[in-house]
Amino acid sequence: MDRESDGGFLGIDLSVRSTREWIAGVAFAAPYVLIAAGFLFGPLLLGLYMSFFDWNPIVPGQSEFIGLENYRTLLSDPRFWEALKNTVYFVVLTVPAIVVGSLLLALGVNRDVKGQWLLRTIFFSPYVLTVAVIGLLWNDLFSSSGLIPYYVGMITGNSGSWLNSHTLAMPAIAIATVWWTIAFNFVILLAARQNVPERLYEAAKLDGASSWRMMRDVTIPQMKNPMIFVVITTFVSSFQVFGQPYIMTNGGPGSSTTTIVMYLYTSAFASREFGYAAAIGYVLFMILVAVSAFNFYYLGGDD
Amino acid sequence: MSTDTKRLTDSLPVDEERLRTAGVYAALYGAAFLFVIPYWWMFATSFKPREQVYSAVPHLIPSDITFEWYRQLLFETQIVQWTLNTVLLATITTVVVLLVDSMIAYSLTRLEWPGRRIVFGIIVGSFMVPGIINLVPVFMIASELGLVNSPWGVVLPMAAGPLGVFMLVQFFKDIPDELEEAARLDGFSRLRIFTHIILPLMRSALAALGLFIFIWTWNSFLWPLIILQRSSLYTLPIGLVTLQDSMGVTEPGIVMTSAVIASMPLLVAFLLLQNHLVKAVEMQGTTK
Repeated sequence: MDRESDGGFLGIDLSVRSTREWIAGVAFAAPYVLIAAGFLFGPLLLGLYMSFFDWNPIVPGQSEFIGLENYRTLLSDPRFWEALKNTVYFVVLTVPAIVVGSLLLALGVNRDVKGQWLLRTIFFSPYVLTVAVIGLLWNDLFSSSGLIPYYVGMITGNSGSWLNSHTLAMPAIAIATVWWTIAFNFVILLAARQNVPERLYEAAKLDGASSWRMMRDVTIPQMKNPMIFVVITTFVSSFQVFGQPYIMTNGGPGSSTTTIVMYLYTSAFASREFGYAAAIGYVLFMILVAVSAFNFYYLGGDD
Repeated sequence: MSTDTKRLTDSLPVDEERLRTAGVYAALYGAAFLFVIPYWWMFATSFKPREQVYSAVPHLIPSDITFEWYRQLLFETQIVQWTLNTVLLATITTVVVLLVDSMIAYSLTRLEWPGRRIVFGIIVGSFMVPGIINLVPVFMIASELGLVNSPWGVVLPMAAGPLGVFMLVQFFKDIPDELEEAARLDGFSRLRIFTHIILPLMRSALAALGLFIFIWTWNSFLWPLIILQRSSLYTLPIGLVTLQDSMGVTEPGIVMTSAVIASMPLLVAFLLLQNHLVKAVEMQGTTK
């Protein structure tokens, strides 16, 4: 839909028909634009602004401008570094498991297996569960009277609750998260695999390629962009983990499962330090932009 | 002679293939088994009598069945209210999102107006913004506008997301111009073209997006958690979590039963409408 009429220097066409089209165009766009301005783009700027203040939540007008002080405090705040460390640990535990797990399941289900529909239904189903159900369900599975410590305890001899353990609480949260979020990525990768033209495999077979070579030279390169999408979105959502630790451990034991977003949440809604919390949000944003850019260039995305 | 040697070398890959197939089946159904166990545990626990819930040896199969947890939940908590709140909130959000997103998608793809490319560029760019960094400022705006404890305090931040706009733009682009031209020559207004031609054509894309938004809102946790601060206004996800805290001693039977009630409607919808949902998820994977 490129411009059809010559609109002169500014590319603006002043005929009656096009003026009516403008009005209609703006009117149709307006509702979303207003909502997004108020609840997406406006807050983005307001958050940056707030991060330069010792924000007074009762009387915002009396907030004190403190420049970069919030960011400076953040850099020397041991609780922030602890939260960052915990978050990175969670990312390391979840991202490879989710990406590799959903890829293997997608490639497996794509084969000509019996019960394909059933398998797809099972692997996709956790997608419709709320994080509250995930948290409560796995909380119970990992509790001292739950299923997992009992059976794992038969081997290791320790059948205590995982969620009260400094070493096992985060892996428990990670396992629950993997179970929950493989679904979305599995469906995307299954669709991506189904979009690889079958003739490429036929051609490779004629050339006598082994199945490992077909995987390396056909499947992986053909699925590159969906794979990059899955890697980046999994990184971004793992960095923002909140609900699972909030429900399962409330950040404990100690602060061993307090993630960045949990720290942001408590800074804002428990300590009422809104300016500080806004600064945490911006630092997280910068981390995510850096991680996404790194992934994108490192994995060689091209669109 | 030559055919014999060929057969000899061929027989190996066939066996290997069979072995591999067996391995694939074992891995897939093994994984499926692991995926099903948590569901089984949730349903089984909701029917277990108390002594089996607390027993040191986990009971995978309840030997007695009780509806006690369901009775307690329905009559001694606000779960019915929370369910109604959740249905209401998910419905409002879905209607608002479908309406405003399809309007702007129509405008961005079919109408020519100054600045529309910039607007689209900004919407695409906003995908990079993680929702979480807006937590504090959106809460400030919502409280300034008096939207705390109002459904709109949840609906509007959710409707501001760019995903639906982006998904619909991909579809609206593919409608042939001729249909619209013909309608315009017949003297149809823009509004009438939109409601009588574009929207009916987009039924399946709108259904997929609508289902996705409904489930997404039903399940959303963070916005309802900070905006809805009275227990009579809670949605199911928030109510469930407070149930765990506020019952004094946490009753696993109650908690698992509440999890069953909160997820059943969506699991049933999922079984019936799975293909629409697959489509909505695929749209995200291919559009970005």
